[in-house]
Amino acid sequence: APAAKMAALSGGGAPWRRGWVPVLQLVRRGSKAVTRHWKAMHFQRQKLMAVTEYLAPRPAVPPRCLAPRRETREEDEGYARLLRRQVEQLFRASRMVAVCQYNSMPDEDVVLMRQYLRKHNIEVKFVLNEIVRPVLSQSKYKNLLPLFVARNILLVSPETRVKEMLRVLKGVPQVNLLGACIDDTILSKQGVESFAKLPTLEVSQGQTVGALTLLPSQTSSLLQRGPAHLAALLDQHIQQLRAGGTGGPAEPPPAQS
Amino acid sequence: PPGPGGVPVPRAGLKKYILPPDYSGITFPEKPKLKFMDKVPAVPKVRREPRRLRDIRGPSREATDFTQGQYGILAVGGGYLHWGHFEMIRLTIGRCMDPKTMFAIWRVPAPYKPVTRKSLGHRMGGGKGPIDHYVTAVKSGRLVVEVGGRCEFEEVKPFLTQVAQKLPFPAVPVSRQSLQQMRQEEEEKRLNNQNPWTFERIVTANMLGMRKYLSPYDLRLKGRYWGKFFLKHRV
Repeated sequence: APAAKMAALSGGGAPWRRGWVPVLQLVRRGSKAVTRHWKAMHFQRQKLMAVTEYLAPRPAVPPRCLAPRRETREEDEGYARLLRRQVEQLFRASRMVAVCQYNSMPDEDVVLMRQYLRKHNIEVKFVLNEIVRPVLSQSKYKNLLPLFVARNILLVSPETRVKEMLRVLKGVPQVNLLGACIDDTILSKQGVESFAKLPTLEVSQGQTVGALTLLPSQTSSLLQRGPAHLAALLDQHIQQLRAGGTGGPAEPPPAQS
Repeated sequence: PPGPGGVPVPRAGLKKYILPPDYSGITFPEKPKLKFMDKVPAVPKVRREPRRLRDIRGPSREATDFTQGQYGILAVGGGYLHWGHFEMIRLTIGRCMDPKTMFAIWRVPAPYKPVTRKSLGHRMGGGKGPIDHYVTAVKSGRLVVEVGGRCEFEEVKPFLTQVAQKLPFPAVPVSRQSLQQMRQEEEEKRLNNQNPWTFERIVTANMLGMRKYLSPYDLRLKGRYWGKFFLKHRV
């Protein structure tokens, strides 16, 4: 009986009873825990690793069926806001706004053109489409939107001196007039040309006044037509009497008043 | 908008002015370049140490976060760095960086652990060999070098990747943001895992007697580490 127990552990107690087997049986085979190569895993461990792998979440609607979210970019808002405010003020303050297509010109020609237009109190403004388009679409000038496609400039003026503007632009082949908005009226190129041919406001006002006062001016002559006719006949008679002399004085019939 | 022919007409829009990056809170150390690391410590060890490979195993506890610099090399596995690696790092980074605008600092100590080697061609036995060289132990998740200064990540990334590929363990160049992003993604992955069975759960509850086939260290390592390797795609 005592021979069955281990000689060295004669003082031991409860664990080293007969038939006791330790719970964990450490196997001293193979390499250490940390190796340079990839140590082969026990099959049970492999199974455990396979079972506990990461499973990605699958949403009910796949993301590519949803519309892509456009992130609203707020970059550079301040500068763009300032430019938009300037364009709005321009439209409010000027009576005439002409939109022209601008092809690249030599700089000195640009300066000369600006100079000539300045003499007629017309300012040349270079505008960016991406700023003007939102401004126009929200104001009443929606019909000017199709004009702002390629590079263009605005000729603005508080007065409407279209004839001088057209003359200057005729001398500059690289700037083509597309359309204009004069006194809240949108005109095409032909409209602008015909507007230029119109007489000035003062002249047309005078013409209207003349046309209106034409009839009243004739009233006095109308009223005096009867007596004037009588006076003319009497004169004629007097002349006849003087000229006729002895001839039977044909009494003119009394004038009908 | 498409012009004549259906081809979009290129045009210049409004110029966007971006503010230059703000490098206000950066303090430069006295020497911008990496310090020279000795092959052998000042007081060489007399007593030969056992191999203690547990200094490679598992996640790192020290040097996991940035201190002075903004970019660095993160070790994604465990390993030993010897003097040759140190020289390679020092020379490559010293060659590629601009000492006027950038600086670099070590985040690992100089080699301190003695490694013994027996002479070639002898049979087993005859005691432990003499000390051959010294190494530094690096665990996964530790920063090796940090680079900072008035520079962007894209400027620093090429030579950091070059260095990271030459290290004996897998490593990646990181910046502060990219490290934070990595940690966040790991956390999200852990939270939105659809698998109800996780390694941690099975080991802590000893389901199916799995602990018979696992090490007691697996309670801490939770199936993400195996030897010196870091398993990136787990959990």
